Amino acid sequence: MRETYLVILNSIKNNLRLKIVLIVYIAVTIMCVLGITIALYFFLIAPEMKTGLPDKSKPELYLGLIMYSTCFISLGINLNSLAFQSMTREKSRGNIESLLATPLEAKSIWIAKSIAIFIPGLILGEVLTLITLIAVNYIYFVPEIGFIFNPWLAVSSFLAAPLIYLCLSLLIHFIGLTGKPATGNIIVQIFLPVMISLMINLAVRNILDITSWSFTLANLGIAVLIAIIVIFLLPRLTRERIVLSR
Amino acid sequence: MNSVISIENIKKTLGNREILKGISFTVERGDIFGYLGPNGAGKTTTIRILLGLFQADSGKLDILGQDISLSETRRKIGFVLDSDGLYESMTAEENMMYYSQIYGLPNAGERIDKLLSMMDLEDRCKDKVGTYSRGMRQRLALARSLVHNPEVLILDEPTAGVDPSGQIEIRQIMLDIVHKENKTIFLSSHNLDEVQRICNRIALIDRGEIKLYGELENLRPKMGSGAVIIETVQNIPDSLMTELKSLPYLGLKEKKERTLIFSPREGTEISDIIGFLSSRGVKIEEAVKKEASLEEMYAAILKEVELS
Repeated sequence: MRETYLVILNSIKNNLRLKIVLIVYIAVTIMCVLGITIALYFFLIAPEMKTGLPDKSKPELYLGLIMYSTCFISLGINLNSLAFQSMTREKSRGNIESLLATPLEAKSIWIAKSIAIFIPGLILGEVLTLITLIAVNYIYFVPEIGFIFNPWLAVSSFLAAPLIYLCLSLLIHFIGLTGKPATGNIIVQIFLPVMISLMINLAVRNILDITSWSFTLANLGIAVLIAIIVIFLLPRLTRERIVLSR
Repeated sequence: MNSVISIENIKKTLGNREILKGISFTVERGDIFGYLGPNGAGKTTTIRILLGLFQADSGKLDILGQDISLSETRRKIGFVLDSDGLYESMTAEENMMYYSQIYGLPNAGERIDKLLSMMDLEDRCKDKVGTYSRGMRQRLALARSLVHNPEVLILDEPTAGVDPSGQIEIRQIMLDIVHKENKTIFLSSHNLDEVQRICNRIALIDRGEIKLYGELENLRPKMGSGAVIIETVQNIPDSLMTELKSLPYLGLKEKKERTLIFSPREGTEISDIIGFLSSRGVKIEEAVKKEASLEEMYAAILKEVELS
């Protein structure tokens, strides 16, 4: 446990030293979040507000869409940039092979690397989501209908979404360690947009209420599904497979 | 217990290729064991098995009498792999500190200072490893391998890509490690000169099989007695040359003016050659027996393998 913690700390430090990747990651994330918030305002919120004071369900839906997207954009870009970069670099330079020859277990290295990517993404994701929640409320809703807040929406955005992201981080690090890091990157690039589009479409079409417990449960279900895949793959995480995949 | 590494009939197949075909050898305490072989012979696979990175398909492997899959055993081993695995964005000190913590030694500052000084890196210890030369990196990797005071060091070509003066430094460090720190070194190398200079025991692997194994000094006679060089006072007459050529046990190889070079068969001593020449009235100025070099042994073995 202590050694895993050490690897986490060291990996976070090393990832934060990738200054250009970090700058690009933060800049792209902020631009995407701003873009989505502004687009949603012009296409959904502004027309709705013009028709008079809507009931709280519509603003809750729009706020939910913005918060949910914000969280996943931040987490997704983090996985795509930092995880891919650090895994490729550490494998090619023999850092991983050297760690495997120490008393550390392959599982500890895998968990540590996944968490080291998860933590910065989680912090940025949660902070941006919180800022978005407050900013959207004060800019659009507070002057007209007051502060919008829904507990299930908060659970979905602040807990369920990061849980999906953690499971996804474990999965793509598993793939990156035992295979090619680029494969994990491709999975993230396909999985996240498809999942977000699906969930948002279900919410917009009122099939799944974004402010309800069922939406939170659906997200938790996705996290559990990814976790089951990871558990199923776990016996394949061996030193030999990791070294040979280099 | 004197045996530090004991390998018995280890086999390993990767994909469809049998990389190791039942290799066996023993490394004794205090040895600098040279592990030689051409590219693709199975050296790196052996090292990976020794470090627990690969699992052997069959056979028995003991390191310090323990199973390598135990983390306790891996704590007793230091290593330098073909890729040094150093973190370029970290300083030498940070790299050392990181590994000392992994091995459960949070307060290894003094040992780190000592090792960096031993490797002549104390002046650059606060510099990022990314700015280091190849030789410095290899010395740092060696220092890192010693940070937890292991009993045995497994080194995969530690002088590869290092300039000649750097190679001399690293060789001296390896000798110091064995003699001053009482360690055992398993050294995989392409560099025959290096192995000849510092190793006391060797194994030569080719195509997954051990072709030669034992104490270096005991192996030389087995591989032929080496060359006998005789310098005569006067020129050798043609009739005597014909006679010498007709006696294969003497193994006349070459004649250069007044110098005769023999490669005698096993059992033929230098005194037999001198005696024969003297009986024919040849006055001898100097007679030298040149030991077979490792390079000659290596070439002979590989040639034998190719012929078979």
